[in-house]
Amino acid sequence: MDIGGTFTDVVTYDEQEGTFRAGKASTTPGRLSEGVLAGLDSVVDDPGEIGFLVHGTTQGLNAFLQRSGAPVLLLATAGVQDSYHIARGPRTRLYDLHYRKPTPLVRPRDVIGIGGRLAADGTELTPLDEQAVRDAARTARDGGYGAVAVAFLFSYLDPAHELAARAILVDELGADFTVSLSHEAAKQWREYERTSSAVLEAYTGPVVRSYLAELEQELDRRQLTAPLHVMQSSGGIVTAASARARPLQTLLSGPVGGAIAGSELSRRTGRPHLIGVDMGGTSFDVSLIVDGEPDVAAEASLEGLPMLMSVVNIHTVGAGGGSMAWSEAGGLRVGPRSAGARPGPACYGRGGTAATVTDANLMLGRIEAQGFAGGQMTLDPELARRAVGALAEEFDLDPMAMAEGICDVANATMAQAIRTITVSRGIEPRDSALVAFGGAGPMHAAFLAQELGISTTIVPRLPGAFSAWGMLQTRIRQDYTEPYFYLDEDLDPSDMAATLARVEAVALAALAHESVPDDRRTATHAIDIRYAAQEYTLTVSLTDAAEPEAPGFVKLIAERFAQAHQARYGHANLGAPIEFVMLRTTAFGDLGQPLPQRWPAARDAEFAHRRSPVRFGGRSFDTLVIQRDDLLVGHRFDGPAVVVEATATSVVPPGHSVALDDIGSLIITRHDDVVTGTDGGNPA
Amino acid sequence: MTTTVGIDPVTVEIIRNALNAAAEDMNATLIRSAYTPIIYECGDCVVALLDAAHQVLGQSAGLPIFLGNLETCTLATEERFGRGVWAPGDIWILNDSYLGGTHLNDITIFGPVFVGTELVGFTASRAHWIDVGSKDPGGSMDSISIFQEGLRMGPQKLVSGGADQQALIDLITTNVRFPYPTTGDMHAMIACIKMGEKRLQELVVRFGLDTLEQARDEIFTQTEILERDVIAAIPDGVYAAEGVLDNDGIDLDTPVPIRLTITVAGTAIDFDVTGSADQTLGPVNCGAAQAVSALRVGYKLLVSPDLPGNGGSFRSMTTQVRDGSVLGARSPAACQWYFSHLGLLIDMVARALAPVLPDRVAGASHGDSMIILTAGVDPRVNREFVSLEATVGGWGGWSGSDGESALINNVNGSLKDIPIEVVETRYPWRINQYRVRPDSGGAGRWRGGNGVVREYEAQADMSVSLWFERSRQPAWGLFGGQDAIGPDVVVNPGRPDERRLLKANGMAIKAGDVIRCATGGGGGYGDPVERTAADVRSDVADRFVTVEMAQVRYGVGPE
Repeated sequence: MDIGGTFTDVVTYDEQEGTFRAGKASTTPGRLSEGVLAGLDSVVDDPGEIGFLVHGTTQGLNAFLQRSGAPVLLLATAGVQDSYHIARGPRTRLYDLHYRKPTPLVRPRDVIGIGGRLAADGTELTPLDEQAVRDAARTARDGGYGAVAVAFLFSYLDPAHELAARAILVDELGADFTVSLSHEAAKQWREYERTSSAVLEAYTGPVVRSYLAELEQELDRRQLTAPLHVMQSSGGIVTAASARARPLQTLLSGPVGGAIAGSELSRRTGRPHLIGVDMGGTSFDVSLIVDGEPDVAAEASLEGLPMLMSVVNIHTVGAGGGSMAWSEAGGLRVGPRSAGARPGPACYGRGGTAATVTDANLMLGRIEAQGFAGGQMTLDPELARRAVGALAEEFDLDPMAMAEGICDVANATMAQAIRTITVSRGIEPRDSALVAFGGAGPMHAAFLAQELGISTTIVPRLPGAFSAWGMLQTRIRQDYTEPYFYLDEDLDPSDMAATLARVEAVALAALAHESVPDDRRTATHAIDIRYAAQEYTLTVSLTDAAEPEAPGFVKLIAERFAQAHQARYGHANLGAPIEFVMLRTTAFGDLGQPLPQRWPAARDAEFAHRRSPVRFGGRSFDTLVIQRDDLLVGHRFDGPAVVVEATATSVVPPGHSVALDDIGSLIITRHDDVVTGTDGGNPA
Repeated sequence: MTTTVGIDPVTVEIIRNALNAAAEDMNATLIRSAYTPIIYECGDCVVALLDAAHQVLGQSAGLPIFLGNLETCTLATEERFGRGVWAPGDIWILNDSYLGGTHLNDITIFGPVFVGTELVGFTASRAHWIDVGSKDPGGSMDSISIFQEGLRMGPQKLVSGGADQQALIDLITTNVRFPYPTTGDMHAMIACIKMGEKRLQELVVRFGLDTLEQARDEIFTQTEILERDVIAAIPDGVYAAEGVLDNDGIDLDTPVPIRLTITVAGTAIDFDVTGSADQTLGPVNCGAAQAVSALRVGYKLLVSPDLPGNGGSFRSMTTQVRDGSVLGARSPAACQWYFSHLGLLIDMVARALAPVLPDRVAGASHGDSMIILTAGVDPRVNREFVSLEATVGGWGGWSGSDGESALINNVNGSLKDIPIEVVETRYPWRINQYRVRPDSGGAGRWRGGNGVVREYEAQADMSVSLWFERSRQPAWGLFGGQDAIGPDVVVNPGRPDERRLLKANGMAIKAGDVIRCATGGGGGYGDPVERTAADVRSDVADRFVTVEMAQVRYGVGPE
């Protein structure tokens, strides 16, 4: 179950039949659980038959975005308690005389300095001021605070002061009061980022907890016996009980399902590199699958506030179908201004008058006026024509040329944004395939692929529910970090191995707690390494916890690091001293994945279709219009074509051919290498 | 409006976006491959794509102070060696302060772009290298000639016909202290140049040079129209501001005045800094190209902050810089701290134009990098260390908002402070205090942001260099807003050997000594009397303003 801004998607997998089904319900912003349960009811007759349930929640994120989380009191090391507000002091917009930092979640008056200090080796310099903590607990109670975050210097080396503070807070405030400790939210150095992680967890935690409790109760009432699992930002899942303990991990889980689905598709289709394009009415998200795995970052930020935790990298670009076209100083502009969902594109008939990408697509015949957004809406072509026509007049262009020009500019801009993302990651787009999902992704994907020199575009089954499908493919995941700061020549490999073994035992025990059977538990290990005195690290995998004890380990790991450095950054300095910074252990519980459902094979080459005029490259083509479900394995056809289904429309330009793979994905292949159709508006 | 050129608006817009994206791809390549944090974390770099006439086609946002002077490097090369010097597969390097304008640490690498035998443009990148062999590691506080500041290169061929010029590379690596990271950054810049070359070639092949040039002219015209519209709205007249640096770092008693006169006539705007001080003995000089850059930053902040820069930018703008002045230095003037007066100049543009652009300007900022550089041996691991930190401070208030507290200065890009946990782990320092400095921002209807206090306690004997500026003229307020409090550095506060100083080179410090660095705030905006009592009490609750100063500056007592 995946809650989006407009719709809540539910995907089910029938273990006996081996079939997937998708359902949809309107998202209910006030009480999200209502929309979730309505969506569930639309595809499942008897909740008691559900054996496994995984949920991507946006509850914490919404509380953050609307700034409606719990008021947080922050306890920080006395003398340096302003670190959270100083926020390391960078400016992220350089041409801005009126720059303000991201708005912090607590005010300076909500921060209390607490005596007690550790040295850089973790030893105690001054003891914790316990009376100050007790006084702070009273402030929390009397001041109307809903949560307390505790972030002391060097707590990642020795958490004793933070743990002692929690004992006092619990004593004063009760066990149900949310207390977030920085070393638990993020066991890593860098006090500002760790403090910010703890504050974010404290701020959103109470909301997430009460939502999950409410949802579990409702599910119980419907005799659902399977445990509720919750998606994490890292791409793994945990039980709802774990999520309540570590709510920060759920914060950015919303769009992650698509990336997980992409990596599953990568495995099934044998394509190591994929570029995922998720385009909705108001958003355009790009994710990468590199060597079969989602591109995961070790830290993230939300509206500029940092979090130290593993997060699947989602790049939000431009504005989607609502991107507006307008004129500035005699030039055409398309996006990033957006008409949003309200008033939305002119053709929505909600009062919008600006020409948008959706209006242009409608005029060109690339979307159908009937049955838009899964039949929830009928578009008004006349309003689109009026909006695009007004702009065409300003530029002295034919309205149809204007419409195609708007799409061409939008496609070129989106493609360039994708290219810059791949350049930053060191990937060549033409070595990848493009995967299109979300309502509007398949409409633009083939054009983007053409701009990027990508020859294959894949539109999976149920592209509108691809993210929810991805959630069914995931595993239980628990992440552990252990700061471990040594120069290579100072490393004691047996100590490193012993530390890893200790963390692994803790991690596997936690999986047992999640009811993962013994033979389904695995742990992987990696080290964050960098060249001495560098700031950034790369995460380098180990074969197992005992690997550091292998002979010649330091030399071996330096070589492995150099290879990773070469691949990621384009150069390496084999022989230069390296620094170990952090040990990472990830425990996985494999719950078994649904087998791919084979899509039926065609008996003959014929399939139902009709023809309709659609404009490409300045001229009108008599274009195939096909219902998606009429296409079976073995069917092939050439573009131009438009493939219509409930949640999405796939547009196949001329010069492309389409086949179905055995699980029903559309495989769109470009069969000329000539760049066409994007020179814009040249009437044929 | 109808376009007047024979090219359709769709193609123009696709090309405009493609040129900006090409610059972004160059920048992403540089930042991805760079070795030192000053480039990939602080973004102390800039890239540009130029046409064959050295006009900017596309440029990354980059470090503002590097704005719009990369073309001076390709032009200077052409002036010296002739147009015929450009050949396919060549890449050039340059860091001469009097050509590039900045200090020797700023390296510009650039190359011609050919399609077949036709020269179609240039690509260029500039980035800060951590060391170029100056007399002290990373740069000196007290150099008095450029010959103390490191290796100085006029235009040199780094790659010839696709082959690395190993002799020159050896010369560079034997003259710098950290050859590993230096060659890493050099290769990142070469990769960036090649990325730009590839993108420009692709565009020429895809659209044809004629179409590209027609689109370029149209794009430049659009930018020019947008900028001239803003200038036209400014009433004609002469607007002036005067600023002053504390000193040149050598003669600590003599201030260095900077004078700016702006003349607006119709859609033209002229910036004149010829009245500024003569070049100084100490290292606060810069080449004229850099003074022009600083003025362009000031202009852009007020006129076109959101517009991508290109050859149509700054067409409405002229500049007058005096040769031999502190802003137009001649050899052998020292240039290590070339940016102290440039940050000042950027603030001064806003001050001069405040009467006519009251909603776009802001009170002055704390204004400089506020550097503490320490070196010695860390007794815990018995290894040498060098640490360099810039300290954040307050920015000015503006119509509609208080200024931000604890923010990096305007010439330092997106630099972050170093976390206390990293400082104490890496260097023999303990940080006793890191806090916002109350009352340091100027009072006003919109209050200036506050500076910070960062107090270091030495855990070993070491040497310390300091560069704290803007004490003679702390950040000024506007429209009745009050001036801020300036920087203050105290060694061993409260002890018998307590002393105050703002600049030092290689000062000896003993274990147990304390250095308390306080940075200035930003200027206020509007009369403090107009600030509501509720806002002042909120400031007191948030420790921005003390109870005492709430009474003194705002006349607001506790409820």
